[in-house]
Amino acid sequence: MLLSLTGLTVVAGLALGAVNYFTTEPIAKAREASRREAIAAVLPEFDNLEDIEYRSLKLYEASLNGNTIGIAVETYSDNGFSGRIDIMAGFDSEGALYGYRVLNHAETAGLGAKMGEWFQNDNVIGTTATIAVKADGGDVDAITGATITSRAFTDAINRAREAYENYSHDSK
Amino acid sequence: MKITAMTASKVLLDGIIKRNPTFVLLLGMCPTLGTTSSALTGMSMGLATMAVLTCSNAAISSIKNLVPAMVRIPAFIVVIASFVTILQMVMQAWTPGLYSNLGIFIPLIVVNCILLGRAEAFASKNSIWLSICDGLGTGAGFTIALTLIGLVRELLGAGSVFDFQVYDSSYAALLFILAPGAFIVLGLLIALFNRITNS
Repeated sequence: MLLSLTGLTVVAGLALGAVNYFTTEPIAKAREASRREAIAAVLPEFDNLEDIEYRSLKLYEASLNGNTIGIAVETYSDNGFSGRIDIMAGFDSEGALYGYRVLNHAETAGLGAKMGEWFQNDNVIGTTATIAVKADGGDVDAITGATITSRAFTDAINRAREAYENYSHDSK
Repeated sequence: MKITAMTASKVLLDGIIKRNPTFVLLLGMCPTLGTTSSALTGMSMGLATMAVLTCSNAAISSIKNLVPAMVRIPAFIVVIASFVTILQMVMQAWTPGLYSNLGIFIPLIVVNCILLGRAEAFASKNSIWLSICDGLGTGAGFTIALTLIGLVRELLGAGSVFDFQVYDSSYAALLFILAPGAFIVLGLLIALFNRITNS
């Protein structure tokens, strides 16, 4: 009894170890690829990317021919309807929001999950100041039936803007 | 040889119709209700479960004579959990998009009672070959059921089928995407399934 259970767990452990060994690198590569893809989607064309750790957020400074053309901020909000939302937000060198890409979320399908496309409009993209939904006195149309998600979205974007502005200020 | 082939196909078909895990046995309700908000996620969840079920059935059947009856349940769980973890790592590495879609429901395959149920009721008593057939059959039954529920929910709730827009989503009844819609659609499909199989 003891022997069979021990033997089984040893075999299982070895199998898991082997699979882990072979998948560690592909997993890291897949994560890196999806992050790079998100950065490319939220910024103008660039040829060099610099990773920066800034006050617990990750920033990516992108440059083309040596000139900084924008900064992508890996931002988040803990106020989602179903927990944390991770968003990649890109700002151009003028400080306008160039684009965003939702990285991770657990919002309701058909409601909050629409945020990936819903906010791709002029009231969000191209803004140079903090944003808020209309119910809170801002210009952004909240997703119908998903005001909480919409607020979390603006929260994440504003957090990114704050980090972007503080970083730009500090590095001058 | 002919008899083996007969029973194999019977075992396969039983899993889909006579012992359909969702519509007849009502097992594995948590992923059934949780991952069927669209046809695609429902189908992927079904296929992921089918992969683990087939592997765990084969493994459990092959060690059935080595494991004493007293510790068989912990032994089954070690086998099932190992396969789920392997699936999780493989999906993270090669299908990261699908993995993030199914999220928490992949590790939760461990506690899906279909797996332990088939291990206890079938794989621990039958040959490896038949256990694999049972895993494939039951898995296919589960996949078909989840895809159907997802299909109906997505069509009524979002106006699309496999992400292909059929009609304007503003006419869709959002209720079907939300949790209550899962229960309603499941209930109606069980009724329909019973109607068809009883006639």
